Amino acid sequence: MSWYYSKNGMQLGPVAEEELLAKSKSGEVAATDLIWKEGMSDWKPLGQVPEFQGSSPMAMTPPPTQMGSVPMQQPAPMNSNQMPGVIPNYLWQSIVVTVLCCMPFGVVSIVYAAKVDGLVARGDIAGATAASKSAKTWAIAAAASWLAIMAIYFLVFISAAASGNLN
Amino acid sequence: MLRETGGRGWMPGCFFKKATGFDCPGCGMTRATYATLHGRIGEAFLLNPFGMVLLPLALIGLGIEVFGWVRGKPLPFRLNPGRWGATVIAVVMIVWWVGRNLI
Repeated sequence: MSWYYSKNGMQLGPVAEEELLAKSKSGEVAATDLIWKEGMSDWKPLGQVPEFQGSSPMAMTPPPTQMGSVPMQQPAPMNSNQMPGVIPNYLWQSIVVTVLCCMPFGVVSIVYAAKVDGLVARGDIAGATAASKSAKTWAIAAAASWLAIMAIYFLVFISAAASGNLN
Repeated sequence: MLRETGGRGWMPGCFFKKATGFDCPGCGMTRATYATLHGRIGEAFLLNPFGMVLLPLALIGLGIEVFGWVRGKPLPFRLNPGRWGATVIAVVMIVWWVGRNLI
Protein backbone atom coordinates (compact mmCIF):
# COMPACT_ATOMS: atom_id res chain seq x y z
CA MET A 1 0.00 0.00 0.00
CA SER A 2 1.60 3.28 -0.98
CA TRP A 3 1.39 6.40 1.09
CA TYR A 4 1.58 10.07 0.33
CA TYR A 5 2.97 12.47 2.84
CA SER A 6 3.32 16.18 3.09
CA LYS A 7 6.18 18.22 4.43
CA ASN A 8 6.20 22.02 4.62
CA GLY A 9 3.11 22.23 2.46
CA MET A 10 4.63 20.05 -0.25
CA GLN A 11 3.02 16.80 -1.22
CA LEU A 12 5.46 13.89 -1.55
CA GLY A 13 5.23 10.24 -2.38
CA PRO A 14 3.96 7.75 -3.11
CA VAL A 15 6.20 5.61 -0.97
CA ALA A 16 5.80 2.08 0.32
CA GLU A 17 4.54 1.62 3.84
CA GLU A 18 7.90 0.24 5.03
CA GLU A 19 9.66 3.25 3.58
CA LEU A 20 7.34 5.68 5.34
CA LEU A 21 7.76 3.68 8.53
CA ALA A 22 11.53 4.09 8.19
CA LYS A 23 11.16 7.81 7.52
CA SER A 24 9.02 8.09 10.59
CA LYS A 25 11.53 6.21 12.77
CA SER A 26 14.40 8.35 11.54
CA GLY A 27 12.35 11.47 12.22
CA GLU A 28 12.36 12.58 8.59
CA VAL A 29 8.59 12.51 8.70
CA ALA A 30 7.32 13.82 12.03
CA ALA A 31 4.28 12.59 13.90
CA THR A 32 2.61 15.87 13.02
CA ASP A 33 3.20 15.61 9.26
CA LEU A 34 0.09 14.80 7.30
CA ILE A 35 -0.09 11.50 5.47
CA TRP A 36 -2.67 9.91 3.24
CA LYS A 37 -3.35 6.74 1.31
CA GLU A 38 -6.09 5.60 -1.03
CA GLY A 39 -9.28 5.02 0.92
CA MET A 40 -8.70 7.53 3.71
CA SER A 41 -11.28 10.28 3.88
CA ASP A 42 -8.70 12.95 4.63
CA TRP A 43 -5.07 13.62 5.44
CA LYS A 44 -4.10 12.82 8.99
CA PRO A 45 -1.09 13.49 11.15
CA LEU A 46 1.14 10.42 10.99
CA GLY A 47 0.99 10.03 14.77
CA GLN A 48 -2.75 9.45 14.55
CA VAL A 49 -2.67 6.76 11.90
CA PRO A 50 -2.90 3.31 13.50
CA GLU A 51 -0.30 1.79 11.15
CA PHE A 52 2.32 4.21 12.42
CA GLN A 53 1.30 4.50 16.04
CA GLY A 54 4.38 4.34 18.19
CA SER A 55 6.79 4.38 15.26
CA SER A 56 7.69 8.01 15.62
CA PRO A 57 9.80 9.17 18.57
CA MET A 58 7.21 11.86 19.24
CA ALA A 59 4.11 9.92 18.43
CA MET A 60 2.88 9.95 22.00
CA THR A 61 3.10 13.68 22.58
CA PRO A 62 0.19 15.76 21.31
CA PRO A 63 1.25 17.50 18.11
CA PRO A 64 1.53 21.29 18.26
CA THR A 65 -1.24 23.37 16.78
CA GLN A 66 -1.07 23.45 13.04
CA MET A 67 -1.86 26.55 11.11
CA GLY A 68 -5.58 26.93 10.65
CA SER A 69 -6.25 23.80 12.58
CA VAL A 70 -7.34 23.31 16.14
CA PRO A 71 -5.22 22.35 19.09
CA MET A 72 -5.53 18.64 19.32
CA GLN A 73 -6.17 16.80 22.48
CA GLN A 74 -5.51 13.13 22.58
CA PRO A 75 -7.73 11.65 25.22
CA ALA A 76 -9.10 8.13 24.95
CA PRO A 77 -8.68 6.32 21.66
CA MET A 78 -11.18 7.64 19.18
CA ASN A 79 -12.33 5.93 16.07
CA SER A 80 -11.00 7.24 12.82
CA ASN A 81 -13.91 9.38 11.73
CA GLN A 82 -13.95 11.19 15.06
CA MET A 83 -10.45 12.63 14.81
CA PRO A 84 -10.16 16.35 15.41
CA GLY A 85 -9.97 18.19 12.13
CA VAL A 86 -11.70 15.34 10.36
CA ILE A 87 -15.14 16.53 11.40
CA PRO A 88 -16.12 18.77 8.51
CA ASN A 89 -17.39 22.18 9.56
CA TYR A 90 -19.18 22.99 6.26
CA LEU A 91 -18.36 26.66 6.81
CA TRP A 92 -17.65 27.56 3.19
CA GLN A 93 -20.59 25.54 1.94
CA SER A 94 -22.95 27.32 4.30
CA ILE A 95 -21.59 30.76 3.38
CA VAL A 96 -21.95 30.12 -0.33
CA VAL A 97 -25.47 28.81 0.17
CA THR A 98 -26.47 31.78 2.33
CA VAL A 99 -25.06 34.44 0.04
CA LEU A 100 -26.26 32.87 -3.20
CA CYS A 101 -29.60 31.42 -2.19
CA CYS A 102 -30.90 34.23 -0.03
CA MET A 103 -32.35 31.77 2.42
CA PRO A 104 -32.50 32.70 6.08
CA PHE A 105 -31.72 29.11 7.14
CA GLY A 106 -28.33 29.58 5.58
CA VAL A 107 -27.48 31.73 8.57
CA VAL A 108 -28.49 28.91 10.93
CA SER A 109 -26.10 26.68 9.01
CA ILE A 110 -23.25 29.18 9.39
CA VAL A 111 -23.85 29.45 13.14
CA TYR A 112 -23.60 25.66 13.49
CA ALA A 113 -20.59 25.56 11.18
CA ALA A 114 -18.82 28.17 13.32
CA LYS A 115 -19.34 26.05 16.43
CA VAL A 116 -17.75 22.87 15.08
CA ASP A 117 -14.04 23.69 15.46
CA GLY A 118 -14.54 25.29 18.87
CA LEU A 119 -16.30 22.18 20.17
CA VAL A 120 -13.55 19.95 18.77
CA ALA A 121 -10.96 22.11 20.52
CA ARG A 122 -12.81 21.68 23.78
CA GLY A 123 -12.83 17.94 23.26
CA ASP A 124 -16.59 17.73 22.79
CA ILE A 125 -16.50 15.34 19.86
CA ALA A 126 -20.16 14.37 20.17
CA GLY A 127 -21.20 18.03 20.21
CA ALA A 128 -18.96 18.84 17.26
CA THR A 129 -20.34 15.93 15.26
CA ALA A 130 -23.89 17.08 16.01
CA ALA A 131 -23.08 20.69 15.06
CA SER A 132 -21.43 19.47 11.85
CA LYS A 133 -24.53 17.46 11.01
CA SER A 134 -26.83 20.41 11.73
CA ALA A 135 -24.71 22.72 9.59
CA LYS A 136 -24.94 20.25 6.72
CA THR A 137 -28.68 19.73 7.14
CA TRP A 138 -29.48 23.45 7.21
CA ALA A 139 -27.22 24.16 4.24
CA ILE A 140 -28.94 21.44 2.24
CA ALA A 141 -32.35 22.73 3.35
CA ALA A 142 -31.45 26.23 2.18
CA ALA A 143 -30.13 24.99 -1.17
CA ALA A 144 -33.08 22.64 -1.70
CA SER A 145 -35.71 25.23 -0.91
CA TRP A 146 -34.01 27.70 -3.21
CA LEU A 147 -34.00 25.10 -6.00
CA ALA A 148 -37.67 24.35 -5.35
CA ILE A 149 -38.63 28.02 -5.51
CA MET A 150 -36.52 28.50 -8.64
CA ALA A 151 -38.25 25.53 -10.26
CA ILE A 152 -41.68 26.99 -9.46
CA TYR A 153 -40.57 30.41 -10.62
CA PHE A 154 -39.40 29.11 -13.98
CA LEU A 155 -42.52 27.00 -14.43
CA VAL A 156 -44.66 30.09 -13.88
CA PHE A 157 -42.36 32.09 -16.13
CA ILE A 158 -42.54 29.52 -18.91
CA SER A 159 -46.28 29.05 -18.68
CA ALA A 160 -46.74 32.82 -18.75
CA ALA A 161 -44.49 33.04 -21.80
CA ALA A 162 -46.33 30.18 -23.46
CA SER A 163 -49.71 31.82 -23.02
CA GLY A 164 -48.34 35.14 -24.20
CA ASN A 165 -48.91 36.91 -20.91
CA LEU A 166 -45.34 38.07 -20.43
CA ASN A 167 -45.25 41.64 -19.12
CA MET B 1 -29.85 50.68 -6.17
CA LEU B 2 -33.03 49.86 -8.00
CA ARG B 3 -31.25 49.03 -11.19
CA GLU B 4 -31.61 45.36 -11.96
CA THR B 5 -29.10 43.17 -13.71
CA GLY B 6 -29.30 45.07 -16.97
CA GLY B 7 -31.74 42.93 -18.91
CA ARG B 8 -35.16 43.63 -17.48
CA GLY B 9 -35.34 41.26 -14.56
CA TRP B 10 -35.33 37.78 -15.92
CA MET B 11 -33.28 36.91 -12.88
CA PRO B 12 -35.73 36.10 -10.11
CA GLY B 13 -34.24 38.32 -7.43
CA CYS B 14 -34.35 37.50 -3.76
CA PHE B 15 -37.32 35.44 -2.63
CA PHE B 16 -36.72 36.33 0.98
CA LYS B 17 -36.99 40.00 0.13
CA LYS B 18 -40.10 39.41 -1.98
CA ALA B 19 -41.75 37.49 0.85
CA THR B 20 -40.81 39.68 3.79
CA GLY B 21 -39.63 43.00 2.42
CA PHE B 22 -36.36 42.62 4.31
CA ASP B 23 -32.93 42.32 2.77
CA CYS B 24 -31.17 38.98 3.21
CA PRO B 25 -27.40 38.80 3.78
CA GLY B 26 -26.86 38.03 0.10
CA CYS B 27 -29.17 40.66 -1.36
CA GLY B 28 -27.46 42.68 -4.04
CA MET B 29 -25.00 39.94 -4.96
CA THR B 30 -26.51 39.37 -8.40
CA ARG B 31 -26.19 43.07 -9.14
CA ALA B 32 -22.76 43.17 -7.48
CA THR B 33 -21.55 40.26 -9.61
CA TYR B 34 -22.94 41.95 -12.70
CA ALA B 35 -21.21 45.20 -11.76
CA THR B 36 -17.94 43.37 -11.09
CA LEU B 37 -18.09 41.64 -14.45
CA HIS B 38 -18.49 45.07 -16.02
CA GLY B 39 -15.50 46.41 -14.16
CA ARG B 40 -17.46 48.53 -11.69
CA ILE B 41 -15.86 47.13 -8.56
CA GLY B 42 -16.69 50.16 -6.44
CA GLU B 43 -20.38 49.92 -7.28
CA ALA B 44 -20.26 46.20 -6.51
CA PHE B 45 -18.84 46.86 -3.04
CA LEU B 46 -21.58 49.41 -2.35
CA LEU B 47 -24.25 46.87 -3.28
CA ASN B 48 -23.02 44.21 -0.86
CA PRO B 49 -19.64 44.78 0.81
CA PHE B 50 -20.05 41.71 3.00
CA GLY B 51 -20.72 39.37 0.10
CA MET B 52 -18.00 40.92 -2.05
CA VAL B 53 -15.40 40.07 0.60
CA LEU B 54 -16.75 36.75 1.80
CA LEU B 55 -18.10 35.12 -1.34
CA PRO B 56 -14.74 34.96 -3.16
CA LEU B 57 -13.10 33.58 0.00
CA ALA B 58 -15.86 31.02 0.43
CA LEU B 59 -15.64 29.99 -3.21
CA ILE B 60 -11.88 29.47 -2.89
CA GLY B 61 -12.35 27.48 0.33
CA LEU B 62 -15.09 25.41 -1.26
CA GLY B 63 -13.10 25.06 -4.48
CA ILE B 64 -10.17 23.51 -2.62
CA GLU B 65 -12.48 20.99 -1.00
CA VAL B 66 -14.35 20.18 -4.18
CA PHE B 67 -11.08 19.78 -6.08
CA GLY B 68 -9.83 17.28 -3.50
CA TRP B 69 -13.13 15.48 -3.63
CA VAL B 70 -13.18 15.27 -7.43
CA ARG B 71 -9.68 13.86 -7.68
CA GLY B 72 -10.52 11.42 -4.88
CA LYS B 73 -7.72 12.64 -2.64
CA PRO B 74 -8.09 15.63 -0.33
CA LEU B 75 -5.42 18.29 -0.68
CA PRO B 76 -3.02 18.50 2.27
CA PHE B 77 -4.02 22.11 2.88
CA ARG B 78 -7.29 23.96 3.02
CA LEU B 79 -8.60 27.39 3.68
CA ASN B 80 -9.64 27.29 7.30
CA PRO B 81 -10.45 30.43 9.26
CA GLY B 82 -10.07 28.50 12.52
CA ARG B 83 -12.52 28.43 15.40
CA TRP B 84 -12.35 32.16 16.15
CA GLY B 85 -12.35 33.16 12.50
CA ALA B 86 -15.45 31.06 11.93
CA THR B 87 -17.19 32.62 14.93
CA VAL B 88 -16.27 36.11 13.75
CA ILE B 89 -17.70 35.34 10.30
CA ALA B 90 -20.96 34.10 11.84
CA VAL B 91 -21.29 37.15 14.09
CA VAL B 92 -20.42 39.61 11.31
CA MET B 93 -22.95 37.87 9.07
CA ILE B 94 -25.75 38.32 11.60
CA VAL B 95 -24.77 41.91 12.43
CA TRP B 96 -24.63 42.71 8.71
CA TRP B 97 -28.00 41.09 8.08
CA VAL B 98 -29.75 42.92 10.94
CA GLY B 99 -27.83 46.14 10.40
CA ARG B 100 -28.59 46.53 6.71
CA ASN B 101 -32.30 46.26 7.45
CA LEU B 102 -32.13 48.96 10.13
CA ILE B 103 -30.34 51.56 8.07
